[in-house]
Amino acid sequence: MPSILKRTIFFFLLICLWELLFRIRMWPEYILPSPVSVCKTLIYGFQNKTFVIGIVTSMRRIAIGYGISIIIGVLLGLLIGRIRIFEETLGSLVSGLQALPTICWLPLALLWFGLNDKTIIFLVIMGAVLSITIATDVGVKSVPALYIRAAKTMGARGWKLYLEVIIPAALPHIITGMKQGWSFAWRSLMAGELLIVCLGLGHLLMIGRELNDMSQVIAVMIVIVIIGILVDRLFFVKAEKRIRERWGLVKN
Amino acid sequence: MISESAGIENLTDLHQDITLNNNLQISDGENASFPKLRIRHVSKSFHSENGKTYVLEDINLDIKQGEFVCIVGPSGCGKTTLLNIVAGLEKADCGEVLANGNPVNGAGTDRVVIFQEAALFPWLNVIKNVEFGLKLKGMNRTQRKTTALEYLKMVHLSKFQSAHIHELSGGMKQRVALARALAMNPEMLLMDEPFSALDAQTRWILHFELQSIWLKTKKTIMFVTHNIREAVCLADRILILSTTPGKIKKEFIVDLPRPRDDNDVNVAEYSTRIMKILKTEIDKVVKCEMDADSCVECDIKCTSEESAKTDIGGGI
Repeated sequence: MPSILKRTIFFFLLICLWELLFRIRMWPEYILPSPVSVCKTLIYGFQNKTFVIGIVTSMRRIAIGYGISIIIGVLLGLLIGRIRIFEETLGSLVSGLQALPTICWLPLALLWFGLNDKTIIFLVIMGAVLSITIATDVGVKSVPALYIRAAKTMGARGWKLYLEVIIPAALPHIITGMKQGWSFAWRSLMAGELLIVCLGLGHLLMIGRELNDMSQVIAVMIVIVIIGILVDRLFFVKAEKRIRERWGLVKN
Repeated sequence: MISESAGIENLTDLHQDITLNNNLQISDGENASFPKLRIRHVSKSFHSENGKTYVLEDINLDIKQGEFVCIVGPSGCGKTTLLNIVAGLEKADCGEVLANGNPVNGAGTDRVVIFQEAALFPWLNVIKNVEFGLKLKGMNRTQRKTTALEYLKMVHLSKFQSAHIHELSGGMKQRVALARALAMNPEMLLMDEPFSALDAQTRWILHFELQSIWLKTKKTIMFVTHNIREAVCLADRILILSTTPGKIKKEFIVDLPRPRDDNDVNVAEYSTRIMKILKTEIDKVVKCEMDADSCVECDIKCTSEESAKTDIGGGI
């Protein structure tokens, strides 16, 4: 049996079980809504644009935050990976900070930026930047010495060596770090939006809670899962696979 | 100076084409034209558990413009180290290297290296790889594309200009590497066992290609190999390097007509003669790598007998 069929049957049975639990009325409807009402809320949410606005707001925040964290992460990773003094100082700070859950930055961010977008973007940056930094560092350290020697004999020096050889050679590692960074950034974004009420998908979740509208909560959760999976599968998994193939890291 | 001539007696009656330069004088001002590459008193050592080991000891060498020189020696004799010093990728402990009269201080585009592994960049396609050095030189897009294509044609790979590196075979990769190096139009090519990872047929073809390219471009080439047949097939002049310490032991001039074939009788004959001289060096390496009380021949005997026994056992 093809795996897609198995998966379809599994999810169908899961929804049937859910519907069954709803039908036997073990819990009241405001605790466990039926799959049908969740589905209706989903459609309604897209029709009256509330979900669309939520998605757009959230995606804008993550685009800004994640973009900034790629720039900072790659730069920091290059410094740590290539320059001894930065490895010994900054490197230990980065690996130390990794032990800190991103949401722990929230109190500090609130004091610095206040209750607004900047705080959420800051959380997104802090979520993604460390993964990207560490992956770039590892990538830079594992660039084959042969590439650098070859590039040097062809006249690559200074920043051109970084731009033309070291960064592209480290790309398979960097993309893996970016993939991990994306999932951390997505989590941080949701955590931030839940706590700071200003539009976004996290905010829609909180509205659902406040209105005791469980079907909206579940509908928004489904949207969050789907966006997370889509970005991961449609972009990162494909990009990673292509890069690994091109770089000759996969034997066909 | 060739310092070691003891232990090799019958060299004078070698094939008359092999001119043994026993009296090669290395003194400044003797050559009318200044050599393309001049190596003077280069030594290199590294520290190991047993103290200081000399990889190279007092190497003196001149290479003329347009000359094809092969450096041959057993593994670990420091021939790659010598090439890296000339390339500027490693520093000598003492002595100096003059490329085109200028002291070598770091890598330079006048001395492009072709490594054992092609060292092509997988994120670029074939033609972009060839363009790499030209781009760094600041050549404009159309000009570097034309130049790259010209050299890809020279190695017969223009058809594969937009292929990705992982799609190429080992031989094709080395040809791209050769095109990439030639496109730089360097003063000299430094080749570090470029064909040793290839199969025999591919190597045979590439020997022809390299010879024809050399005849066309007349580049100065310093070629490092452990393969004597390859050296005889390619070189104008062969230098034999001894092992620990690496010293220039012998020098041969090969003036067989080109293009030469690996399987040519004359090439084979030359190789056998050089092999005899190199044998003492290889024995030295073998002794270092094996237990004092064992020898290669008895190992071979033992294994063959043992396999015979198991064969019978397996049959029962």
